[in-house]
Amino acid sequence: MRHQMLCQPAATALRFELEQGESITCEVGAMIAMTTGLTVETTSKSRGGSGGIIKGLKRMFSGESFFLNHFTAQRPDQSLLIGPTLLGDCVHHSMRGGTMIVQGSSWLASTPGIEIDTAWQGFSSALFSGKSTFWVKCSGGGELYLSSYGAIHSIEVDGDYTIDTGHIVAFEDTLEFNIGKASRSLIGSFLGGEGLVCKFHGQGKLYYQSHTLPSLGALLGPKLKAK
Amino acid sequence: MAMPTSRESFQGGVFHASIPGGRSGATLSIARGELIADTIGEPSMRFSIPLNQCQIDLGGASGRMVFCRTKDGSLTIFCEERNFAKELDFQSGGALAAPLKQLKKGLAADANRFRFWLAISALACALLLFVGYFGVLWTAKTAIRALPVSVDEKIGSMAFSGMEMGRKLDANHPASRLVQEIVDKLKPHAAIPDLKFKVTVVEDADINAFALPGGQIVVFTGLIKEAKSAEQIAGVLAHEMSHATLRHGIERVSQSLGIVAAIQIMVGDVGGLVALGAQVAQTSILTSYSRASETEADLEGARMLNAAKIDPKAMADFFEMLKEKMGDLPDAMAWISTHPQHETRVQNIQNHEKKLPVIQYEPLLLDLKAAQDAL
Repeated sequence: MRHQMLCQPAATALRFELEQGESITCEVGAMIAMTTGLTVETTSKSRGGSGGIIKGLKRMFSGESFFLNHFTAQRPDQSLLIGPTLLGDCVHHSMRGGTMIVQGSSWLASTPGIEIDTAWQGFSSALFSGKSTFWVKCSGGGELYLSSYGAIHSIEVDGDYTIDTGHIVAFEDTLEFNIGKASRSLIGSFLGGEGLVCKFHGQGKLYYQSHTLPSLGALLGPKLKAK
Repeated sequence: MAMPTSRESFQGGVFHASIPGGRSGATLSIARGELIADTIGEPSMRFSIPLNQCQIDLGGASGRMVFCRTKDGSLTIFCEERNFAKELDFQSGGALAAPLKQLKKGLAADANRFRFWLAISALACALLLFVGYFGVLWTAKTAIRALPVSVDEKIGSMAFSGMEMGRKLDANHPASRLVQEIVDKLKPHAAIPDLKFKVTVVEDADINAFALPGGQIVVFTGLIKEAKSAEQIAGVLAHEMSHATLRHGIERVSQSLGIVAAIQIMVGDVGGLVALGAQVAQTSILTSYSRASETEADLEGARMLNAAKIDPKAMADFFEMLKEKMGDLPDAMAWISTHPQHETRVQNIQNHEKKLPVIQYEPLLLDLKAAQDAL
């Protein structure tokens, strides 16, 4: 299977070339176009994986949908075009074991070797990070495709790294994650416009997004006329 | 040469610059004083760290991942499995006991902190529920008191129509007329001027009378028969009318209010309250006004009697008479059974009477005898 990113990063779409028998699991509603030799199967569990209804419900908590779409090529040389709901970037992350913790709604697609589950990230992350309490946990080996509003950048963290809350897309589970103040004083943190930040510690890869949807909403919201 | 491995193997991972992407999942084992990691996937690579050179650290997204690093930090092997730390401790023969103990301490502290916050949250939730529950009830009770009297009337007439009682005497019956005349005389002095009092005389040997919310008053023929004077009947009626004007019925309803009805009222659904009120009125109003309400009705009744130029002493007399009769007719004492102690009651009325304006009382010019004979 090969993939190609089109129109990065503003309006990214993903194009997959699938050989006969290869399959990919995508977020519901992600398909834009496809060749006719692909079958679509909609279930609530990962391909060949366990779970079912409970996992589907758990996924809903994290902001993903209850169902997953599995695309399988029945003939050689099939192509599938998918895209995220929002304008923005997609990234490809190759997994060789381990776990990737992904922001709810950022998971776009993955190959069958990756198990998609939901992880509880604790109260503090929900209260202060501006993110959901539930995150998507992708584990196993295979190819993982993530999407987000704005462009996605990545960094190999080794030691400490700080990210503004709301900008995290995904991080490897070898990274420890705490909520803290941006500057030494709490008032200074808020006056500086940074407020609370996420402090990462450890070793691992971290994906973050250049823009956040809530800040666009905050800008547009007051200008919209009430119905 | 293949190395003998520990009985247990663990799923974890490894960081090293030579791995494509710098990281890979790995199967871990401990043997001959070394921690060994075989990367998963093809081609598999093997990394190892002598246990006595391991720098142990705890972290990861869960906070429970154990990291073993070489001194220069170029190689890291990590695992999140529960028994990994234990096996590490066992296999290192105590060489890693100190850092592992430190880790355990940290985990225990985390667990304690978690338990602490769990307890605090549970307590906060319970408090919130408690405050919410009683807050809703209190607000509903306050709201009920602010409801118009028309709600009382609705509850009263619903309860009245649903009640099972003896034959109702015709309005032209001498006993009905007698009671009606007394009510007419007392009515101008009621605390709620526009309350529509409706009196019904019911054939029943019990010495009983009761008031429903909104001014429905029921008098049993037994009470009329036993009365020694029209003033005594006036005393009982004044007492019952006071229950209506003091809105004791709706207070009773508010006391028996469940949380669901309370929420209904708060969202403006009075219909549910009326239905509940009618139900409460049927089942318990007859027997269970609170003692404080009874005393209140006594005093308000005495005030009404005084204002209507009827001697409140008649009310006290009636209680005295009931007290004397008590021994003979225990079952017929429905009216007084839940009422306050007669002596205190009589005392209270007499004390209250002294505070009322001194006026010349006029006897009721009504033919009690004729009414009694017609029964």
